[in-house]
Amino acid sequence: MTRRGTVSPIIRMSTNIATTPAYMVELGSSIGSIYILDLAEVRVKQESEWEPKLLGFLCKWCSYAGADLAGTSRKKYPANIRIIKVPCSGRVDPLFILKALRLGFDGVLVSGCHPGECHYQTGNYRARRRIAITKKFLEYMGIDPQRIQASWVSASEGGKFAEVVAEVTKELKEIGANQLFADEK
Amino acid sequence: MKNREMEQRLRHEAKTWLEEGKVDYVIGFEPGSLKFTTTPLITKDKDDIDRLVINPFMVNNLSVYLTEIKGRVGIVAKGCDSRSIISLIQDNQVVREDIIIMGIPCPGLIDLSKVELWLGRDRDELDDITRDGDRVVIMVDGKERNFSATEVLFDNCLSCEFPTPQEYDVLLGETSSLVADKIASRDKIKKLEGMTSEQRWEFWKGEFNRCLRCYACRSVCPSCFCKQCFVDESQPQWLLPVPRWQDNLMFQIIRNIHVAGRCTDCGECERICPVNIPLRSLTKKMYELVGDLFHYQAGMDKSAPPVLTAYEYTDAEDFIR
Repeated sequence: MTRRGTVSPIIRMSTNIATTPAYMVELGSSIGSIYILDLAEVRVKQESEWEPKLLGFLCKWCSYAGADLAGTSRKKYPANIRIIKVPCSGRVDPLFILKALRLGFDGVLVSGCHPGECHYQTGNYRARRRIAITKKFLEYMGIDPQRIQASWVSASEGGKFAEVVAEVTKELKEIGANQLFADEK
Repeated sequence: MKNREMEQRLRHEAKTWLEEGKVDYVIGFEPGSLKFTTTPLITKDKDDIDRLVINPFMVNNLSVYLTEIKGRVGIVAKGCDSRSIISLIQDNQVVREDIIIMGIPCPGLIDLSKVELWLGRDRDELDDITRDGDRVVIMVDGKERNFSATEVLFDNCLSCEFPTPQEYDVLLGETSSLVADKIASRDKIKKLEGMTSEQRWEFWKGEFNRCLRCYACRSVCPSCFCKQCFVDESQPQWLLPVPRWQDNLMFQIIRNIHVAGRCTDCGECERICPVNIPLRSLTKKMYELVGDLFHYQAGMDKSAPPVLTAYEYTDAEDFIR
């Protein structure tokens, strides 16, 4: 179940995106060292103009291309999403989802090919089971299931991608900031 | 068959296996150093075989040793243990032909902490505990105290569906009757389900504040067979080894997802936890979720693929946009 020898996409991402908050950049540049997540402080600073942060794991064959299409066809969607390209939605380990929430993301979106259209034949079917169990189990733990989202977006569905991101962002705004792992002051 | 007779038969069989070279090792239970306890016995020596016992205190799930021992093994297995063995076979961790399973129809195990709670006495002060059908008789201060079995059995035994081993080569005794109290065994989960999600999160936060990250739950779990656990990885370092509640909680959530569809609700993690975190409220819930979502029960069919590596075209996807 545990995968070895791979560099975490979450950590890799933190060097890619200019808008990544300071605490994540710090994590990325000092792998292995002790980091302190002072989410509460970050929130205070951001309270006035709080915007949810959504992490998207997009499958390289469908959803990532769909997001590309949304861009090239000038579809507007909220800039709240940070995207990590994965080879397949089946690559998304429940650990990635939880780690993202642990780092302070307000929501996670896993997006892949429609059933029957997976480039590797069955990856999205496996992802479907994993996300289902993760979502239900985290709900039982006390995490709002709305924070874990999934969608099927094909390479030709740029419009759908824009809609999904808009809907999810709207819902996350309603639930509010992710304070799950924050230490009480 | 009485425990005494079962013991005799077990010793006889185990000795024969060792003498005939059918197995390299025998794994069973011997009396522990404390009253009313047993400890695992792993031996190659047939002189040790006479120490093997069968009683209502053999709590350990011995299948956890199968992945570590090289060679052919004869193993004593209760209902839940046998399911863990099947689960290991499904995951290609154990070869069926390499093991001989001595199945024990298990009438449920006695939880000493429940006994202590009922009597208000320490386990050392008790003289004798005997199980007789659905009654448990405890001798204390020369007096006889009578309990219904449902009052003193482990919670996971109360929700046991398969007391008789699902896979065995030799079965000791007849199929055992079930003493179950499904409602009582689910009490804690029901209470949690009744809470709001904030209350639940606060509850688990409080529980995992105590966690020492001793990883006893991982060591004792037959389903936790990864050569390297994600917790021990340093590049990437998924979580810190420092026992802070955030990381403790994350460790346990992911551990539960990893053993989903493998966990047979043997209750070992909860029993072993040195700070009494109610881990079975997680594993049992996961067990139920796997049943509800995928109509699957762990450790029932050794030819079935593990549930999270398999899929059905018809799996529910109402949560996907």
